Amino acid sequence: MELFKSFVNAVTRPQVLFPFLLVFTFLMFPPTEFFYKVNKTLRLHKLWTAAGGLFMFSFMLAFFAFGLTDSDFRAIVTKPDNVPIVGLIFLVNFFLWFSMKQAYENDAKIEQGKEPAEFADSKEKVLVWPDLVYIEFISLILCSVLLMVWSILLKAPLEEPANPSISPNPSKAPWYFLGLQEMLVYFDPWLAGVVFPTAIILGLMAIPYLDNNKKGRGYFSFKERKMAVSIFMAGWLLLWVFLITVGTFLRGPNWNFFGPFEYWDVHKLEALTNVNLSEIFYMVWLRHSLPQNILLREMPGFTVLLLYFGFLPPLLARTLFKRLYDSLGGFRYSIFTVLLLLAVGLPIKMFLRWVFNIKYIVAIPEFFFNI
Amino acid sequence: MTLPDERHYKSSALNLIFSVSSLLLLLSLGWLFLSDYLRQWKQHQTEFRSLEIEKTKLEYEAARKGLEGDEEYQTLLQKIGQARKDYEARCSGFESEKKEVEQLSVRHNLAEQEHKFAKSELDAARFRYESAKAENARNLEAAEAEFLQVERQVLDLKTELETTGEELNKKKEIISQCGEMLRNLEREERQMASRREILERKLKTIDPSAMPIASRLADKVRDLPVIDFANPSLKIKQVVLRDITDNVNFMQVPKVDRCVTCHLGITDPDYRDAPQPYRTHPNLELYLGKKSPHPIEEFGCTVCHAGRGRGTNFSSAAHFPSSEEQKKEWEKKHQWSPMERWEEPMLPLQYVESGCFKCHSTQVTIREANRLNLGIHLVEKAGCFNCHLLKPYEGWPKSGPTLKKLESKLTKDWAYKWIENPRSFRHNTWMPSFFNQSNTSDPDSKKRTEQEIHAIVHYLFGTSEPFEMDPIPASGDPEKGKELVASLGCLGCHQIQSSPLEEKATRDLLRRQHGPNLIGLGSKTTKIWLTHWLKDPSRYHKDSRMPNLRLTDQEAADISEYLIADKNEAFEKRPIPALDEKVIDDILTGFLTKMETRAQAERKLAAMDLNEKLNRTGERLINHYGCYACHDIKGFEHANPVGTELTEEGSKPVHRLDFGLIHLDHTNFAWFEQKLRDPRIFDRGKVRPPDEKLKMPNFYFTDEEVDALVTALMGFVDTTSVKNKKIPRTARNLQLEAGQKIVHLFNCQACHILEGEGGAIQPTIKEWLMTYSGRSEAEADAVTTSFSPPNLIGEGKKVHSKWLFEFLEEPSVIRPWLKVRMPTFGFGESELNTLVKYFNALDDEEFPFAKEPDTTLTPEEVLSAQRLFSKEYLDCAQCHIVGDQLPGGSPDRWAPNFALAKKRLKPEWIVEWLKNPQELLPGTKMPTYFDPDAFEDSGPPDILDGDENEQIRVLRDYLLTLSE
Repeated sequence: MELFKSFVNAVTRPQVLFPFLLVFTFLMFPPTEFFYKVNKTLRLHKLWTAAGGLFMFSFMLAFFAFGLTDSDFRAIVTKPDNVPIVGLIFLVNFFLWFSMKQAYENDAKIEQGKEPAEFADSKEKVLVWPDLVYIEFISLILCSVLLMVWSILLKAPLEEPANPSISPNPSKAPWYFLGLQEMLVYFDPWLAGVVFPTAIILGLMAIPYLDNNKKGRGYFSFKERKMAVSIFMAGWLLLWVFLITVGTFLRGPNWNFFGPFEYWDVHKLEALTNVNLSEIFYMVWLRHSLPQNILLREMPGFTVLLLYFGFLPPLLARTLFKRLYDSLGGFRYSIFTVLLLLAVGLPIKMFLRWVFNIKYIVAIPEFFFNI
Repeated sequence: MTLPDERHYKSSALNLIFSVSSLLLLLSLGWLFLSDYLRQWKQHQTEFRSLEIEKTKLEYEAARKGLEGDEEYQTLLQKIGQARKDYEARCSGFESEKKEVEQLSVRHNLAEQEHKFAKSELDAARFRYESAKAENARNLEAAEAEFLQVERQVLDLKTELETTGEELNKKKEIISQCGEMLRNLEREERQMASRREILERKLKTIDPSAMPIASRLADKVRDLPVIDFANPSLKIKQVVLRDITDNVNFMQVPKVDRCVTCHLGITDPDYRDAPQPYRTHPNLELYLGKKSPHPIEEFGCTVCHAGRGRGTNFSSAAHFPSSEEQKKEWEKKHQWSPMERWEEPMLPLQYVESGCFKCHSTQVTIREANRLNLGIHLVEKAGCFNCHLLKPYEGWPKSGPTLKKLESKLTKDWAYKWIENPRSFRHNTWMPSFFNQSNTSDPDSKKRTEQEIHAIVHYLFGTSEPFEMDPIPASGDPEKGKELVASLGCLGCHQIQSSPLEEKATRDLLRRQHGPNLIGLGSKTTKIWLTHWLKDPSRYHKDSRMPNLRLTDQEAADISEYLIADKNEAFEKRPIPALDEKVIDDILTGFLTKMETRAQAERKLAAMDLNEKLNRTGERLINHYGCYACHDIKGFEHANPVGTELTEEGSKPVHRLDFGLIHLDHTNFAWFEQKLRDPRIFDRGKVRPPDEKLKMPNFYFTDEEVDALVTALMGFVDTTSVKNKKIPRTARNLQLEAGQKIVHLFNCQACHILEGEGGAIQPTIKEWLMTYSGRSEAEADAVTTSFSPPNLIGEGKKVHSKWLFEFLEEPSVIRPWLKVRMPTFGFGESELNTLVKYFNALDDEEFPFAKEPDTTLTPEEVLSAQRLFSKEYLDCAQCHIVGDQLPGGSPDRWAPNFALAKKRLKPEWIVEWLKNPQELLPGTKMPTYFDPDAFEDSGPPDILDGDENEQIRVLRDYLLTLSE
């Protein structure tokens, strides 16, 4: 058991878990033929069946049931603040499974030349009363019951009177911002706190204008919009839900990382020394001291950014995203790629941090400008 | 097209789900109400109510029985019965009068009503008349006529009212006169039975079975859920304190204590034996009572006890157990768990006195807070304030002796062994141990320790200044020395105790340990040094608190001969490890590389010889360990102390205390306790370089001492929340506090009893009486107080300030039979004045000037006084010394010299003294000549017409002439 716990503690470190989940997400939601083939061989699509769902939930329940026997796991999972996130894990997975199951069923029907299941629904008419209002009313009652019982059983997680000289350790944002807080580990606050949230909102707003795929509308389907589903799932599940989960359960005092079966020791220390790209470029590669001139010093970083945002989109338009470019046209394509590159920037920065201890690509602390 | 009766879902199934979920909603709603309604404190209040009923019933029964058994009351009842019969017999014949009274009263009431109406009409008419007059209106005449008419009417009605009233009273009196006796008797009965009546009335309001049905119902209804917002019988009780605040970081809010919601009998002396939480406070005279200095309405509970005043259940009030057993019991009985996120849990019982210190911090001793007083005394004795800044102790002298002239007193070997382990030389020394502690006991640390001590000793001796010593008498007599030590009073501050005694830590013990235990001095110092030290301690150490006992050369030599004879063989035999230059190099390199590079340090090291290396290392080490905080050391005159500031240590948030890898309750008192037991414990399991290890030395405190010190530490808190309740800074309080500080510093209470405390020397006086003057234990007991330094109770009332000033500066002999000597402390002017003011403030005397009564006598009065003084009457000279004339008999019966009286005593005091010496100085030998219980007949009738006051006056005035 102890061995299993330390194994779990080891694999839940973001350095291990994040890359694994990244690959796993693309395998579960294969954007291209290659991933699709692997998915087929590993029979991963079987998860989107009744048996697969049963397996998934049994596995999750078993893990939690086992985990609750451990005092450290119990302490963190049953904390009144964190209980909703446990609910979130189950709910997100349930609806994911539910929609993907329908999508696969529809895909099968479409392949056979039939109409998706939703088409049958829309032909049938349902009366607002009683069919809609009645079930809404029942849901309302059941939700009230849930809220009442919850409020009786779990006390409100109040804290001590606010004290300017004592900050709580760890200081955590509200759960829905934990994804952003996690980004703070890798990015300068103005990026993680201002630019990225804005980009997320703009990106979500832009989806209807960027997506010109006429298929797969009004019904669940995966095959008709593989790329779209795949990209969205990576962004939503990995860069948002997963980061919230990590922030809630696995970030302890001093924002240190703790495995699910690890005691939250306030004194835990991690060696954290990071360097900027300019230092690697000049001092490690060129064996040269840092130039005095700021622009000259940060030239490598600017070059990388220029390549990333300026050179990469046209290159992709000609190679990997050729079809996309053709269908979207230049303007929409460039907006799409810039948004995508921004989103991909987060995992890239994470890898750079883990592998090369890169702090900033461009570091001009003189003007509070760090990327 | 769907038909209206078509359904997507099955209606019956939906109905079923709906009914089940509605039921669930109802149930959870009920649960919600219940969980909100059922509170622990309501159960307590109900329980207390039944306890109260039971108690009241018992008391009521007792009162009733008492009355039944009371003959007086029974005869009264009989009398009432008789009177009632009498009344009925005699006063039943007033039927016609009664009828008349009724008729009259109707008439009277009607007249009264009419009068009222007429009066208001008159006011209105007056207004009309006045305004008509002012405006000179046409209807002026009519208005005037109306006014005059109404006025007449009112007058008539008034007359009528008065006549009917008079008539009515007359008639009533006739009737009432008849029943007057009965009424008087009944009033008497009510007075006698008042207690029973009160209890009966109380029972009716609290006991459902004694209530009328309507009240019983109302009592139940008003406690029902929802309705109970109005005026429930079970409700939260609280004390709101405007003067005492809770600190919520951004502001101070009035403190609210809801403890009385459950602790219902806390201020009621009737619940002394009731179970908790209803029990009475154990000390109502001092706390909570209406007449106590800390009434509950003004002080509440949590300002002393800490905890969470707003909490209304066992855990949320932040109760905290005082022992492991209690913790287990509470967990079982009250499902107790520590209150999370609350910095101030209730003080466990053993530390509860720390609450006093908040407001009483300026007082040197706090009455009745014995543990806290002991803690504060320990802080002073152990000298915590030397290393740790404690604002109240700023300016106190250092606790240890000077090390500036070490060479004349000690040898290097002795110093080495002493620093290494002070307790191996003196088992109860207050010098703490720095070395061989729990974090420095591994072989590497031991090796380092040895060389560290070598370096420190080297530095101390290297910087030692010369101390000139004159030749001393060739030989002293140790036997005489022994007797001198036993009789002079040395044992007030010093012990001579070769092996540890299992003595409980008390303040008296601390007073006797004021100076070091005088054992093994032969192994420590030389006879010549000791003689010089005894002769004049301030010559060796200017700021020494060891006083000068005005010894002759021979006396000093005798005493040192005696003290030097005791040697500590085991200590002398202990080997000293050899100097190891390599280790010294390592230590010094460690220090040097803090500021410079390794290469620089090595270059520096290479240029030094061993002597310099040792000096530099010793200096750095003394700086590291902070030796200079307690001792004067050359080169460290302006160094800052090494410890954390403790002025508000009790308010420090718990997370700022480093618990290391030790598992403890996360409370500050648990941490303090561990720290004091083993100052290095929080290093356990840590891997640290030598100079980063914890370095607080170990005092080897006993359990009681730890408890007392933790109590004191918990009292050192931020006091903004009680700033309105602190001891006021009046001139008198300031004088008292300044005096008490000197009393503490110079250990006056070791010899004298002051403010009801002290006299620690007395057991040694008794021993001296038994050993040197051949008395049996019982005899010695009887005269110990006469041979001890005087009790200083009422000293301010007793002696002239000027005399006191001069005496404290240069003591003179008052009681020649005493062997103990009042030492010369070498007080400066300001200290002397402080002491004089202190004694005056203690007795509320006017200072510095006071009116002197006229003490001149007529020749006749002198004669009367002389007769009183003579053998025939009071025979004062039988005990008192008069000038050069000593009284006969043994010296333990002697009394002070009258020749000193004029200069020394305040005349008013002499009068009081002659009237009742036992009241001024309980246990004094002075006989009570004028019996205070029968004062008028106590004096001889044949002098001054037997007027006692006159006799006392002339006697006093006569005594004041005896110095001439």
